[in-house]
Amino acid sequence: MTTVTKPIGSDRQQDASTGRVPGENSMWFFIIGDLVIFGVYFVFYMVYRGQNQALFLESQQHLSQGIGVINTVILLTSSLFVALGTEATRAGKRRDAQRLLLLALGFGLAFPMLKMVEWLPKLGAGHTPGENLFFLYYYLMTGLHLLHVVLGLVILVFVLRDVRISKAPNIQFVETGAVYWHMVDLLWLVLFALFYLMR
Amino acid sequence: MSEFAVSPITAESQTGRPWYKSKKLDQYLCFWSVPVFYSLFGLVFVPLSYMMPPRSPDSDLAEIVAFMQSPNLLIASSILIVAIGLSAVGNACYMVQMRRMSVSPVFRFAFLAGSIVGAIVGCLFPMFCFGLGAFRPGYDPQILAMLYDFGYLSFIGSLGCFCLNWGMLSLAIILDKNEILPKWLGYYTVWQYATELFAATVWITKTGPFAWDGLLAFWFNMVIYVPWQFIIYVCVFQAIKKQPEDERIPSWPEPKAAFS
Amino acid sequence: MSTRGQLLLLWLTPVAGILFLLAYWLFPGFSPPMSPTMTPEEVAAFFQANSASILGVVVFCNLIGATLVPFFAAIAVQMLRVGNSSPVFAYSYIVAVGIGLTAFILADYCWGVAVFRPDRDPQLLSLLNDMAWFFFITPAGLIVIQNLCLAMSIYLDARPDPVFPRWVAHFNIATAVLMVPGAFAVLYKTGPLAWDGSLSFSLRLLTFAVYVAVMFLVLLKVVNRQVEAEGVAP
Repeated sequence: MTTVTKPIGSDRQQDASTGRVPGENSMWFFIIGDLVIFGVYFVFYMVYRGQNQALFLESQQHLSQGIGVINTVILLTSSLFVALGTEATRAGKRRDAQRLLLLALGFGLAFPMLKMVEWLPKLGAGHTPGENLFFLYYYLMTGLHLLHVVLGLVILVFVLRDVRISKAPNIQFVETGAVYWHMVDLLWLVLFALFYLMR
Repeated sequence: MSEFAVSPITAESQTGRPWYKSKKLDQYLCFWSVPVFYSLFGLVFVPLSYMMPPRSPDSDLAEIVAFMQSPNLLIASSILIVAIGLSAVGNACYMVQMRRMSVSPVFRFAFLAGSIVGAIVGCLFPMFCFGLGAFRPGYDPQILAMLYDFGYLSFIGSLGCFCLNWGMLSLAIILDKNEILPKWLGYYTVWQYATELFAATVWITKTGPFAWDGLLAFWFNMVIYVPWQFIIYVCVFQAIKKQPEDERIPSWPEPKAAFS
Repeated sequence: MSTRGQLLLLWLTPVAGILFLLAYWLFPGFSPPMSPTMTPEEVAAFFQANSASILGVVVFCNLIGATLVPFFAAIAVQMLRVGNSSPVFAYSYIVAVGIGLTAFILADYCWGVAVFRPDRDPQLLSLLNDMAWFFFITPAGLIVIQNLCLAMSIYLDARPDPVFPRWVAHFNIATAVLMVPGAFAVLYKTGPLAWDGSLSFSLRLLTFAVYVAVMFLVLLKVVNRQVEAEGVAP
């Protein structure tokens, strides 16, 4: 049941210089597909928005743009640290990598908390998903994105653990985690623009 | 499901053994019961009951009553009663592959529990809600309307057990080191999980794209789901084919303790 | 390690049988079974008149259903010993048992809720009753699949000394065939196929009782042969 046909570290010796895509190929499959799925939702958002412009604009007024901006900064900063951490891992500076990834994780953790700060008063004020199409869309998309963030945080923890305990960290795994985290960041940027900013 | 050109006959002829003598015949038999089940499933829910594609949650009472009293619903119910056991066989095909993966048994046992619940709340019960209306046409329209909602919501909105199943399956595929099923399929299964989350909106709204007949809550999910069902089917077939002919249940015939 | 646990649980089967006889004798609410042609008002009157008896059936059926599960589990355990390339039949069997038991217990609950307040709107009582019968019919379909799984797994047993004798497979297929008409009971309100009819009710229950009794004896023998073959303590 637990027979492992391939030694766990066998893919670690892969050559990093031969023009390959960073991270696992299957993760790229996931990321591209995920972007397509979110993309479809965003396109339909635009369509429905076009049909009920007044309703969407009016509802949009109730969103907390401030928290949105802070969250954007947080995710961008976190993404930057992940990128730096990956670079440090690649360069063999494990200590730096650990510190940078820990920072990335710290910033990342602030995101779900701020999301709660954003959501709870809104729900309390009666802006529930059932209120209208805009809010349903808003909670669904931000909720799905939040799930991606949480998943990303879990992946970051494992990346950090790998960098911390193994002498030769699995660079492909670190890259895979980083790529995923950048996607989460990218999704948020689009989401933020569409739901909070667009007038 | 007749699109699949591959058949156990061609598969086994490569090993020079007629298909009916393959040691993996147990798995092939169960595997080929899946298209039978899905054909019956399709027959029951589409042309027999006209339940799918979903009717509007907003239809007026007269329409609901007319639909709920169609005698075809009873034929659909009885076919489903006979065939529902095949859903167990289909899920067992997945579990067997999960067993060959390098992951903990937790995954397949959780999947097992999810399959039991899913068959009842996501398949049998919804059909019964419609069948009951047809069985006794004298029911009060209000009762029929309640059964209509109950049926559709539990068919389209049964989130938890399927989240559990797809979550377990996708994680097992992703974490597996024996390369039983391709890793990208694991990621695809994550979207299956996501479609169940999208479907949560059907409980909230009665109109628009997120209602149970909505463009996003239903149709887009179908766009993700239907190819997945075909793809995983082919992948499971490949996995059975790749399994060494003499690979046995690991626990046979060795440990005595396990069966006492 | 020994097979003592398996045998102990196996002996719960006759206990279930005794519970069944007891329920049949003490609470004759369902003998003869209710006719599907009863109007909601008749159903309500029936529940009001027989509430104690039906409540007894409900409580006992829950117990009987649960007491039979170890019997099916023992079959599944022996199916895992069969020499197939995978445990696919055993897994199917376990899932099917779970679905069947859930349906059976849901049927029970519907009757239980109906007699809990028999002064409810007759329409609702009748609905609960119909739903109960729908769910009561369902396990027939699952037993068909269970028996087919068991039979196929026996036919394909590659062990030199098969776990189950071959006639058990034939027997399972025969009982599966006898169970099939029961699954179509929702289509008819009168005649032998209606849910109180001879094929759907009497034949089905009789087949099931005979099936459990025969399989109980078979399993006793199978477990004893396991003791001999594998040298585990009895």
